Amino acid sequence: MQTGSEVTPGEQMKDLSDVPSFPAIYAAALDPRSSGRRGSKEPVLPSIGYRVRQVRIDAERARDFDHLMGGPATDLVHPGVLHVLAFPVSLALMARRDFPFALLGLVHLRNQVLQHRPVRVGELVDVECRVRDLQPHRKGRTFEAVSTILGEDGEIIATDVSTYLAKGGDSGNGEPSAESSDGARTSAGGDSASARSSRSTRRAFEAPRPTGRWKLGADTGRRYAAVAGDVNPIHLSALSAKAFGFPRAIAHGMYTASRAFTESRVDLSRPLRWDVTFDAPVTLPGTVLLAYEERGTHGVHCVGWRAGSGDKGPRRCFEVEVTTLG
Amino acid sequence: MTDFPSDALILGGNRIPFARAGGPYAGISNQDMLTAALDGLVARFGLQGEKLGEIAGGAVLKLAGDLNLTRESALSTPLDPRTPTIDMSRACATSLETVVHLSNRIQLGQIDSGIACGVDSASDSPIEVTPRLRRILHRAFAAKTGMQRVKALSAIRPADLAPVPPRNGEPRTGLSMGEHQALTATQWAITRQAQDELALASHQKLAAAYDAGFFDDLVTGYRGLSRDQNLRPDSTLEKLGTLKPVFGVKSPQVEEPTMTAGNSTPLSDGASSVLMGSAEWADRHGLTPLARVVDARNAAVDFAHGDEGLLMAPAYAVPELLDAQGLTLQDLDFYEIHEAFASTVLSTLAAWESDEFCRTRLGRGGALGSIDRSKLNVAGSSLAAGHPFAATGGRLVATLSKLLHERARETGRVQRGLISVCAAAGQGTAVLLESVTD
Repeated sequence: MQTGSEVTPGEQMKDLSDVPSFPAIYAAALDPRSSGRRGSKEPVLPSIGYRVRQVRIDAERARDFDHLMGGPATDLVHPGVLHVLAFPVSLALMARRDFPFALLGLVHLRNQVLQHRPVRVGELVDVECRVRDLQPHRKGRTFEAVSTILGEDGEIIATDVSTYLAKGGDSGNGEPSAESSDGARTSAGGDSASARSSRSTRRAFEAPRPTGRWKLGADTGRRYAAVAGDVNPIHLSALSAKAFGFPRAIAHGMYTASRAFTESRVDLSRPLRWDVTFDAPVTLPGTVLLAYEERGTHGVHCVGWRAGSGDKGPRRCFEVEVTTLG
Repeated sequence: MTDFPSDALILGGNRIPFARAGGPYAGISNQDMLTAALDGLVARFGLQGEKLGEIAGGAVLKLAGDLNLTRESALSTPLDPRTPTIDMSRACATSLETVVHLSNRIQLGQIDSGIACGVDSASDSPIEVTPRLRRILHRAFAAKTGMQRVKALSAIRPADLAPVPPRNGEPRTGLSMGEHQALTATQWAITRQAQDELALASHQKLAAAYDAGFFDDLVTGYRGLSRDQNLRPDSTLEKLGTLKPVFGVKSPQVEEPTMTAGNSTPLSDGASSVLMGSAEWADRHGLTPLARVVDARNAAVDFAHGDEGLLMAPAYAVPELLDAQGLTLQDLDFYEIHEAFASTVLSTLAAWESDEFCRTRLGRGGALGSIDRSKLNVAGSSLAAGHPFAATGGRLVATLSKLLHERARETGRVQRGLISVCAAAGQGTAVLLESVTD
C-alpha cells in the first residue's frame, strides 16, 4: 500500500473549501444526466485529487461514533472517524461527471487503514483523496479510493484505501484479477452490493465457534447515518433500499467494520493497521454472529457471518483484522 | 501494630480534569470518564497488557445498566482483560474506600497490585420512572393474557409518567446536604468570612500547584479540558463576598445563612485512579513508591434525628485512627480534609478544638487541639477542583502521596498525612498515609 501524499507529476489537486455534504453528492449521483457521461470506450480514472485543508476532528462526532460502536468516548480517535471524515471527499471525487462508473452501483470489497500515530479529538487535519489502480475483475473492474489524512505539519497520519468493484461492462482484457482467483472474496459484495448472490465457485464458508452476536435493528443504517452522515439510501430503510434493487436495507460496511474494531479493544495510542474484507451483505434487521481471535500480542482477527437456515449454509459477511505496530 | 506480609504502597495516580455539571463532559458517560482515567494511568505507568491483582472502582450516581461499571471500563483499556474488578460504593468516600480495600488485600498478600478508582457524572445522572409506574409495568410484563395486560396498563395516570431525577437530599430528613451543613455551620458559629477565606485559599493553592507543574504527572487532559474547570485563580474575597447564600435560607434555625455557591462545591463530572502495589511488585516494574497506606477508620453519626451533624462523622473517625496509631493530631505533616463545603472543614476543626465536644462526644480528656493551617489542603481541594463524588478520594490520595514523597525527599524525614472524607447518610472515612523514599 502506497502511503505517499506527494502530488505526482501530472496530477492535479483540487482544493475544496469544506468537506462536501453527502445528500448533495447522492443527489448529484442520482441526476439522470450524470448517467450519460459514461461512454463505451475504455474507462479511465480521473487523475485529479480532491483536498480539504484544516478539517477539525469534531469531539462530539467522535464521541457519538464511539458510543454507536459500543465503546467509550476516547480522546484518541477511532480510525473509523477518519474514514467518515474523508469519505464524502472521495465520494465527491467519484461523483464527478468524468468518473467512469456509477456511484450508487459500486461494491465496497475491501478497506485498509494504516495509521501511523494516534489522532486526538479537536485536531486539525488535511484530507486528500485520489482514485487509482484500475484493474480488470471477473465481474467488472476494481479501483482504489485512497484517502490520506495529514497533520498540520504535513506529516501523513493515516492512509485509508477502499477497494471498490464497479460491476458489469467489459472487464478489460478479461484476465482474472487477483481477487477472483480467491473466489470467496468476490461474492456479492458487502457495502453496496447487489443482493443477488453470485453464482461463482465460492468456497463453502465454515463458520467458526461464535464468541458474540449482534442483533441489528431495522434502524441500524439510520443510526449510523446520523453519526457518519452517509445517507446512502440502501442503508436507510427497506423502502429506499428497494428503489435500488435490494429487498431489504443493508448495514453499512464501515459500521460493521468499525464496531468490530471497537470490540477488538485496540490500544489506540499505537500505530496500527485495520484491514477489512467484505463479503455477503448484512441485511437489516438481522443477526450477525462473530468470532474474535487474538493473534499474538498485537493482533485481533474477527469474522462476522449470517447463520445458515434450511439448506442454505452460513454466509460470511466480513473479516476484520486489527494489528498494532511497534 | 500487626505485621502484615506486605506494605500497601501508593505508586502514582491519574485523573481527568474535573468539569462542572453540564460543561465539557456533558454527553459523556461514567464509563467514558473512568476509561479515560484508567487509559491515562496505563499509559503513564506502561501497564499495557499487565494483569493486575484487582481494580476497585465505583460511582455514586450510577445507572442501573452500569452494574459492572469498573469491569466494563477496564475491558476497554489495554490492561490484561483477565484483571478482576469490583464495584464499590460509600457515597463521597467511594474511591477512598477502594484505596482502603486494595490496601487491605495487598497487606494480606492476597494481591500484589491494583488500581483504586472512582467516577461520577452529575451531567449524566440516572433519571428513573416513578415507583408506581415501575410496579405497573412489572405487573403488565408478568400478565398472562392480553386482557390482564391492558388492565394493568390502564392504571397508569399522567402523573406516573413524570421522570424522577436523582434525589438531592437525605431520604430520612428531606433536607439537602447543604441544608444539613447549614445547621452544623450555625451550631459551630462558622462565619461567612472564614468560609470565603477557605474557599479562596483552595482556588489559590490549586492554581499555584497547577502553575508549579505539580499535576503534570497526576492529570491527563480530556475533551479539551486540561485543568479543573471550576478553578478560578483570580477569585477574590470581594467577589466571593458578593454571592448570595444558597443553603440554610429556608431553615428557621439558621439566623444568618452563610453558605454560597462560592464556598460550597459545585456538582461536577470527573474520574480518578490510583496505582497501588506491594514493594516487590513496584520494584519488579521499576516504579518508585510514593507513600504507604498505614491505617484507616470509618465512623457514622446519627444525624437523622439531629444527634449530630450530617457531615461530622470524620470528626469521630480521625481521633480513632490517630489513637490506633499512637499519634496526636499535631503529629501530622499534611491534612487533606475534603471540602464538601468550606464550613464542613471548619466545623470539623472547631470540633477538635472544643474541649466540650472532645469530652462529651469523643470521651476524651480534652480537645485534640488545633492544627497548623498551613498544612491543610496545601495543593487546593474540592472547593476549587470540584467534587465528582466517587472521584474525590482518588484525587486526594494521589495528591497527598506525591506531597508526602516530595517533602520526605526534601527533608529526609518520614512524613505523615491524613485524609478525611465525609459522606452522605452521616458517614466518614479517615486514612493515614506515610511517605516512602528510596
